[in-house]
Amino acid sequence: MEAKPEEKAEFEEAEIEYVSYGGEHHLPLIMNLVDQELSEPYSIFTYRYFVYLWPQLSFLAFHKGKCVGTVVCKMGEHRNTFRGYIAMLVVIKPYRGRGIATELVTRSIRMMMESGCEEVTLEAEVTNKGALALYGRLGFIRAKRLFHYYLNGVDAFRLKLLFPPPRQVL
Amino acid sequence: MADKPVYEEASIDGQPPKLASIPASDTTVWADASPLLQAACAGLRDGELIHGDNFNLFAAMSALEIMDPKMDSGIVCTYYSIDEAIENGAAPIPISLDSTIDVRCTIDIMDHLLACEAAWHKGHSLAQTVFSCIYLLRLDRTAPHALLHSYCRIIRATCKAVVSVVSDARTHEEEDLFTMTYGLPLNGDGDDKCLSILNAVEETISRQLRACKATSSKRRLPEDLEPLQSNSNLEEGFCKALLCRLRFRKHFFHVLSCMKRPQGRGLESARKHIASCLTELESILESADFLRSCFDESCEGDIDDKTTASGFEPIGFDAMLNSRLSAPTPPRAIKILSWKKAVEYFVKLLHDLDVICSYSLDPHLESLLRFVVQFQKSQPDLVARSHLQLLLVQDGKLYGRDPFFAVINKAAALPEATKNHDIQKNESFLQLGMLVMNLLKILCTNAAWQRRKLGKFLQDWRVIYVQLELAFRNEYGEVSSSSNDENTCMKIFQHILLWVEEQTYWIAFRFLILGFELELYSTGEYCMVYWYLYAVLIKLTEKTHLMMAVSHDTAKRKGKKKKDSSKDLARESRIPPAVLFLQCYICLAEGLTMMLAALRNEIPVFHSPSPFNTEHEKFVQHFELLQRACIPDHVSYPSYKESTTHARFSTLAMYNYFKDAQRIAKEVKSSFSNDPERLAELRKLEQVAEHNSVAQNVICRLGALDPSLKVSFEFSHHPFFATVVVKRS
Repeated sequence: MEAKPEEKAEFEEAEIEYVSYGGEHHLPLIMNLVDQELSEPYSIFTYRYFVYLWPQLSFLAFHKGKCVGTVVCKMGEHRNTFRGYIAMLVVIKPYRGRGIATELVTRSIRMMMESGCEEVTLEAEVTNKGALALYGRLGFIRAKRLFHYYLNGVDAFRLKLLFPPPRQVL
Repeated sequence: MADKPVYEEASIDGQPPKLASIPASDTTVWADASPLLQAACAGLRDGELIHGDNFNLFAAMSALEIMDPKMDSGIVCTYYSIDEAIENGAAPIPISLDSTIDVRCTIDIMDHLLACEAAWHKGHSLAQTVFSCIYLLRLDRTAPHALLHSYCRIIRATCKAVVSVVSDARTHEEEDLFTMTYGLPLNGDGDDKCLSILNAVEETISRQLRACKATSSKRRLPEDLEPLQSNSNLEEGFCKALLCRLRFRKHFFHVLSCMKRPQGRGLESARKHIASCLTELESILESADFLRSCFDESCEGDIDDKTTASGFEPIGFDAMLNSRLSAPTPPRAIKILSWKKAVEYFVKLLHDLDVICSYSLDPHLESLLRFVVQFQKSQPDLVARSHLQLLLVQDGKLYGRDPFFAVINKAAALPEATKNHDIQKNESFLQLGMLVMNLLKILCTNAAWQRRKLGKFLQDWRVIYVQLELAFRNEYGEVSSSSNDENTCMKIFQHILLWVEEQTYWIAFRFLILGFELELYSTGEYCMVYWYLYAVLIKLTEKTHLMMAVSHDTAKRKGKKKKDSSKDLARESRIPPAVLFLQCYICLAEGLTMMLAALRNEIPVFHSPSPFNTEHEKFVQHFELLQRACIPDHVSYPSYKESTTHARFSTLAMYNYFKDAQRIAKEVKSSFSNDPERLAELRKLEQVAEHNSVAQNVICRLGALDPSLKVSFEFSHHPFFATVVVKRS
């Protein structure tokens, strides 16, 4: 039996509304998206950890009132550097390939930069070509390869973006 | 948790709820907590969290949702315990009252165990693989079943031996899962006799095989020998199928024992057992046809996915019984390798072990390093790599035999006599010995971990150089004395300092090229990587050449005396082949750097700036560890920019480095006629050079004019020098 061909949603990029995490009412939307798309189970506390402590780093993408994508991040001190971390990034299948993920991530990274982060990091499966291309375009390098990082035996790359040193204000 | 119970009554009818598995005792009683939980649910609104002093949101992330099968490892799936599983007939002994079925099922168990063992070696936990076998978890109860019992014993003893080897090799991080054996019954009384138990069973089956063959040739059979099973048509097939499986286990156990013997004394014997293992594996594969056809019922599903030769599901396995032993969160379901893939794994493992056993234990460090690098090219798995590590470094000596100072002494082309010099007790020299030991261990690990460690290691090598240099200057700052011993010490320092530099650049070189193997560089970064590689290769070649000159001097002094014939003089002025080899590398690195620089300077699509940072940040990140160790000196982003900013197609056309590489590769081939590996690599380098030379010509002629020209980079010929491919899109 052949798989159903993926149905792509029809929309203009301008129709996508990007919203910063606004409160408890956004939480079930994020949870549903992530639970649906990613294989790792997260308890509700994991979501709360991120969106409560760093609400300004999480964004949602809406199309005509429907939540179609989200990014969840954190930042903090890590071995003497102030570092941002991208924990979850999801765009539902019919809406992929149109730059929504890039826009979500870009907003979050910009916020991290403005908050004083020196670098941003995340892990991605070595086979996830889409993610690697996306982050590569934004300036991330593959800093390390992590052998058999995922339980299915797949390796991961640790991706890192180093911000340029802030310009001196004269 | 409250100290005092808020609700004291139990359930509604005052009776504690009945639980089959966990009874109340003298000091405990069951109480119904439902009302308490009910009240607690209503106590918080959505989004509220109780904040304790030691309980914050970060801690809350470790919360498990009880009864969520992905999070709750205590959840009962099939059976609550191993005993319950056995009580319910999950692992019957005998497996079947029909002896034919019993034998077939036993073979299925053996095959599935092989598949589990391969899955374990490949990176899954022992608990979920080999020890998902209920027979193995309660080995003593298999005693009435000689075949199963002997097989389980040797499996257990083999697993224990392999865990021991891998633990001793101290591999790290991502591979630590392998050695986790908490709560698993790996230690059995009498397992040291597992071979003799196995031999007894093998002997019986051999006699049964002889007996059934004798029957077919109508000779009289011994009356006290019972056949293996009741179907005489199948007796020969089953006997053979069992014998090769038992013999494989026997020989494999011998391989492990022989390789464990110190100083490589058992390597030759190990090779014999490896050859026997491979023969038995052949027979095991051949037995599949018989096993599949001996019963009328055929099995469902794709035979290639099955974990047994017969295709039937094995009896007596349950991976969930151990879930509480594995980790706080339940292990993800894993896929056991198919039986065919398991056999393939063991064939590869045996070949890798054979390569190790064939090694000549060359006391020359340089040859050893080349051997290890070559060995790693076949991507050996953890078990093979651990064996190599243990062969190389034992009791703080190389091969358990050569003290590291002596090894360094030889590598640094010092006269044999100096290897016993007292200077080796000097702190810096002791540390240097440790560094060499650690280098060998690191080179035996998986590429990803290896590269990270090599990067950090550079600093240690830089520091030891500085320390040695300081010590040297302190001792011999004023060059005056002519005492013999002082001259010797000076010579030791000089040689070793040079050798340390060479080694350091070699490590830097390896660090950079592993990045290609691990796919750490994106195409846009190749230019800076090849440029840095070029800089490192220049220094490496310089030090290697110096080292060879110095070693030639030592040899001259030692051997040839006054026979300076013209041939010797000519040989002296020629560049040594090893150096020419490196020069070939240099030409390719330079050629690629310049081509990539020209492409990026001339064609817009090759230069795509990112919104958040520039090439400078990427340079800093990729080469941070090298820069920190000043390897090489005077290399920086500005110098990289300076070297590449003026590259254009017109400048590219002026010099073809690839042609130089081609020429050198051709010339130097004859010097390596006895070295098949280097010869093979030279051919690859020639191919890269040739392809890239042509590509460069095309690009120079058409590049700026033809927008449909597409340039890409593939590692089709050589693992770290890219072949440039030019196409019309």
